[in-house]
Amino acid sequence: MKKFLAYLLAAIMVLSMVGVASASELAGTYDITVWVAAEIVDLTKTQIEDFNKTNELGITINATVEAVSEAEAATNMVTDVEAGGDLFCFAQDQFARLVQAGALAKLGVKAGENVAAVNDPSVVAAGTVGDTLYAYPLTADNGYFMYYDKSVIPEEHIDSMEAIIADCEAAQKYFAFEQQTSAWYLASFFFATGCESTWETDAEGQFISVKDTFNSPEGLIAVKGMEKLVKSPFHLSSASGAEFSSNAAVVVTGMWDFENVKAILGDNMGVADLPSFEVDGQSYHLGSFSGCKLMGVKPQVDPVKAAVMHQLAQYLTGEKAQMERFEARSWGPTITTLQQSEAVQANPGLAALLAQSPYSVPQGQVHGSWWDIAKVIGDDVKAATDEAGLQKALDNYYDKISNLFKLDTSALLFVGAWNGWNNADDTDTYYFKNNTLTLDVPESDYMGGRIVNPGDWGTDKGFAQVTVGKELIKDLGADNPDNNIVFAEPGNYTITLNGADINIIKN
Amino acid sequence: MKQYTDLEYLKLSKGQKLLYRITSFFCSIPKKIGGLFVALWNLIKTAGQVIGKEAADIWSTFVNGDWKTKLSYLVMGFGNLARGQILRGLLFLLFEAVFIAYMVLAGGYWLSMLPSLGKVGPTEEYNIIFDTYVTTYNDNSFKILLYGVLTIFFIIAFIYTWRVNVKQNQMAEKILASGKKLKSGKDDLRSLVDDQFHKTLLSLPLTGILIFTVLPIVFMVLVAFTNYDGTHDGYYNNLFTWVGLDNFNTMLNWQSAGGGQSYAATFGEVLSWTLMWAFFATFTNYFLGMFVAMAINKKGIKLKKVWRTVLVLTIAIPQFISLLYVSKMFAKNGIINGFLMSMGWIQQALPFWEDPTWARVTVILINIWIGIPYLMLITTGILMNIPQDLYESARIDGANAWQQYTKITLPYMLFVTGPYLLTSFTGNMNNFNVIYLLTGGAPTNPAASSAAGTVGYTDLLITWLFKITTGAESQYYLASVVGILVFVVVALISLVVYNVLPSIKNEEDFQ
Amino acid sequence: MSNMQNTSAPVRRHMGLRASRALGNTAIYALLIAISIIWLVPFVCIVLQSFRVESTWQVGYVVPQQWGLDNYINLFQTDFPRWYLNTFISALVTAVLQTVIVLCMSYTLSRFRFKLRKPLMRFMLILGMFPGMLTMIILYRVLKDLGMTQENSVPGLILVYIASSGMGYYVSKGFFDTIPKSLDEAARVDGATRFQVLKKIILPLSKPIVIYTILTAFMGPWGDFVFARYIAFGTSKGMNVAVGLYNWLNKDQISKFYTMFCAGGVLVAVPVTILFMCLQKYYVEGVTGGAVKG
Repeated sequence: MKKFLAYLLAAIMVLSMVGVASASELAGTYDITVWVAAEIVDLTKTQIEDFNKTNELGITINATVEAVSEAEAATNMVTDVEAGGDLFCFAQDQFARLVQAGALAKLGVKAGENVAAVNDPSVVAAGTVGDTLYAYPLTADNGYFMYYDKSVIPEEHIDSMEAIIADCEAAQKYFAFEQQTSAWYLASFFFATGCESTWETDAEGQFISVKDTFNSPEGLIAVKGMEKLVKSPFHLSSASGAEFSSNAAVVVTGMWDFENVKAILGDNMGVADLPSFEVDGQSYHLGSFSGCKLMGVKPQVDPVKAAVMHQLAQYLTGEKAQMERFEARSWGPTITTLQQSEAVQANPGLAALLAQSPYSVPQGQVHGSWWDIAKVIGDDVKAATDEAGLQKALDNYYDKISNLFKLDTSALLFVGAWNGWNNADDTDTYYFKNNTLTLDVPESDYMGGRIVNPGDWGTDKGFAQVTVGKELIKDLGADNPDNNIVFAEPGNYTITLNGADINIIKN
Repeated sequence: MKQYTDLEYLKLSKGQKLLYRITSFFCSIPKKIGGLFVALWNLIKTAGQVIGKEAADIWSTFVNGDWKTKLSYLVMGFGNLARGQILRGLLFLLFEAVFIAYMVLAGGYWLSMLPSLGKVGPTEEYNIIFDTYVTTYNDNSFKILLYGVLTIFFIIAFIYTWRVNVKQNQMAEKILASGKKLKSGKDDLRSLVDDQFHKTLLSLPLTGILIFTVLPIVFMVLVAFTNYDGTHDGYYNNLFTWVGLDNFNTMLNWQSAGGGQSYAATFGEVLSWTLMWAFFATFTNYFLGMFVAMAINKKGIKLKKVWRTVLVLTIAIPQFISLLYVSKMFAKNGIINGFLMSMGWIQQALPFWEDPTWARVTVILINIWIGIPYLMLITTGILMNIPQDLYESARIDGANAWQQYTKITLPYMLFVTGPYLLTSFTGNMNNFNVIYLLTGGAPTNPAASSAAGTVGYTDLLITWLFKITTGAESQYYLASVVGILVFVVVALISLVVYNVLPSIKNEEDFQ
Repeated sequence: MSNMQNTSAPVRRHMGLRASRALGNTAIYALLIAISIIWLVPFVCIVLQSFRVESTWQVGYVVPQQWGLDNYINLFQTDFPRWYLNTFISALVTAVLQTVIVLCMSYTLSRFRFKLRKPLMRFMLILGMFPGMLTMIILYRVLKDLGMTQENSVPGLILVYIASSGMGYYVSKGFFDTIPKSLDEAARVDGATRFQVLKKIILPLSKPIVIYTILTAFMGPWGDFVFARYIAFGTSKGMNVAVGLYNWLNKDQISKFYTMFCAGGVLVAVPVTILFMCLQKYYVEGVTGGAVKG
């Protein structure tokens, strides 16, 4: 009860005081660095100028805008967070790494509410860990579809991957679809057959479990489809629109290549959703990731500067700025009202994305290492000589995925029995953070639980390893084959893993 | 094995001699390892003796010295100052003052944190007024390790200087007692460009090497014993800490920790290709470069300068431009495949970068393109140095070109360039640029790749190491272990070659 | 080499010596021409691409359909001049300072016999066996504490280039070893100090190795794209040409900048090539005097 009151009080305080900072407190000139994609450097400079003119808080931003690839934001930020951009744009696959590296500042309560209110929910989810938003949605068009050369691929063939491959081989032209160096693209085949790889994080951004069905009968169908493509002598593992000028007839890439491809192919440019492939007489429509790009704010030491940075980030991802980017570079907006505007709906590239969208999977939070692990499937499939080889590719993949958790002791968790060993229920599942966790043990029949490995849910360590605080737990003797830790009485405990030993303290 | 006497050895043919040296080297390995332990024990023993002697010397200097000497134990350079060697005295004093100031102001802190590498990580707080989260950064494991090591360096330097200071007092007393004059500051300065000129010359380069090579290497080696990675970067997210030999366990354990191939197996695979690459890269370049040099140098060939200039272009143009371009030329839809297909010579693209064997052969071939010019330049000069009368007399004896080559040119070249071959072999093992720019390691080796980083069939240890550091998890500690293992391999190879090739050892022979 | 072919072909034995030599030379010419073509193709391609106007991305053909200087002109609207200047300054300063350091080091190790000489050389040999890749991270932190990263990366890069250059003493030490010691000794007998010996006797004889060292030191910074990228990360103003151009090959920039990359590459290659052409003679003398000793 006391605790509840405290929470209530805190909540009231938050609601009443949030964002009461007045204009004068933020007024001033700020020298900052902003990292954006090369193509919007100039646009961003103008937008920051506009912000300086229009903001009512007296803020003047003196920004150095640098061209830093959105695909390498994490690599660059990890080099040295302090020296990184104060604001930086990144593709969604970088998100998990950035959160874990401590390179993203959480959004304030009010800013978070504002963002969630106007943006596409799937995009908001992309920037959320637990209940907290970590980044501002920038653009929602980070998905891929098919560009093709109308003079090589007849319109009636664009629905069938096999027909397209045959056309390419006949014309000695290439089918470019990045299957050997990118998990982002090769997941297409797996999504086609209904496989999934869904990851769960705790509130801190630590990955705690995965539901991965790539290694399944459906997965085997997917790799059989992939095999048809990657074993074609005219398959090219690339996702660059410029390949059209080097003998490609089909390239699977995204909105960002629209202007390039148009310049190369002119009237011969065709865009369409991805084709279907056929295995054992059944047809599967290729899936895709639909992701987004986000803008992050670097953690700040000074609350004033932090507040200013968030103000600027809100502006740069706001309605006006998104529309400007759409008009200048065809970047698809994330704000729902803009998405439904006529101009956006009429864009042919975005229309192709829309056609692909029934088959696309929202790109949730994915473990940073997944991209490295999954991207080798393409090579494995290419090297496989028979069905056993294909299965081995999947086994190889699955081994490494499950290994991710086994190696990471910080991902250990404690599952309590008081809700009936219910792993999915947060009320009795606790995650170790830096080898420590604190838990409330309620009064129940079996006030205990086990420390497990999320990869296989097997007991990792338990009663036998407790060295400090043995007096706080019950010794069940032979009745405890699972090495469970059972507390003698309810209360609040802290469990610390100290190498192989477990220390328990009652708070 | 059979031991030959000197006379028997001299009677052997060339190949037999080499074989004999190699086998005798390997046969002597057990003895050498035994010898190593003996040497180690002797080293410890000598070190003990030296320390004992030094301590005794320090003690006796103190007991027998006058008050100036005694005070110098506390105030460095006091003896020098009191005896009129102002320059030396001031330098000693300054050094001590700087040392004490540093230790008090910073060094003590770094040293005290070294065992734990930091206690408090960054904390985050919600600022209700501004509706923002504010981060407070606390201990910095990285800096603690870096400056901790630096402080230890500094302490060693201080102890050494202190010892010199004591010794100088002892010597000064002795000189004064014998009635001679002490060196003045002026004398000291003069000796720096004369007797002690080598110290002047070496001071700057060695300081640079100490700070920018030795310190980083020591740091790198220490990282192998920590859990420093992308999510434990020591400052911005979590602190890192000592983990003992865990990382070596992970890397050297043949039993994979989880699914997939073990790191040890991957290391073995990458190492074997690295050695293969280094062998071919070194020797193809060596022989073909020599061949081209001989062709250009041949009597009667005109435009020598033009041919050389054409080849030398490869050296002058930065590799990141030429190699990246060449890499694209060999792509599946690159110019080369396009050309071959348009001529109708092939029906489908050659898998230059897609097939493991093709890719390996292609990088070696392209490396010839890079390496020949260097070798051409180096061998041109050496070939000209071969005494012409050797060839004359060979010709009179009726030796044909091939015989002249094998009996005169090659032995001479091998003798003179033996050391170069070794350095270029180890240099090729660490040839980052060629592999990184040409293939980036491709094609991928799916079984060997792991969460720590993708591994390709053309990856060398050094590019693998680079991939580990830049991979999604930035496992610096693992990269550090790989770095140490690379060192061990290179050192072993050098050791073997040094022991087998006599021409490397005898430095003075050339003078 | 030609003689070798003579003996292997029985028919030719009956030819006159002159004819067979001419034939041999013809074969060598053919070989040299073939080699020249292979060696030049990539460069010619890069140069041709840099004059291509009709498109800015990679294409499947070599000869431009439309020629022009657009790519070169456009270079000056980017940060390229700044990168070029950065690189030029660091190359110049590095060339001077590195030469001083390398010569100090190698001269000392070649001429002086002091107690720690052998251990020192052995120590540096061992140091050289560690792969330097990882030390990049530490050097970044050290330079950051000195305020020499990102925008100010030029002095930082110079510092790192020259600081470790003492390790590369092998070639010039080998060269000094070839200068007879009797020269020094004669001068010493005449009362010259060590410094005077170096200035008056050794240096005048060492022109090739000095030029060789300057040349190699000058060339280094133009091609450094790994370390320089790490030091200047995310700051265009602090980049050198290699890093700046390399970034243009990123997926999201390559289609816009590919031909400019080639133009930039040509501009980078020009000074180095000219310098190399002029000083080639010394390079050969220096490298043969020294490299053979490893």
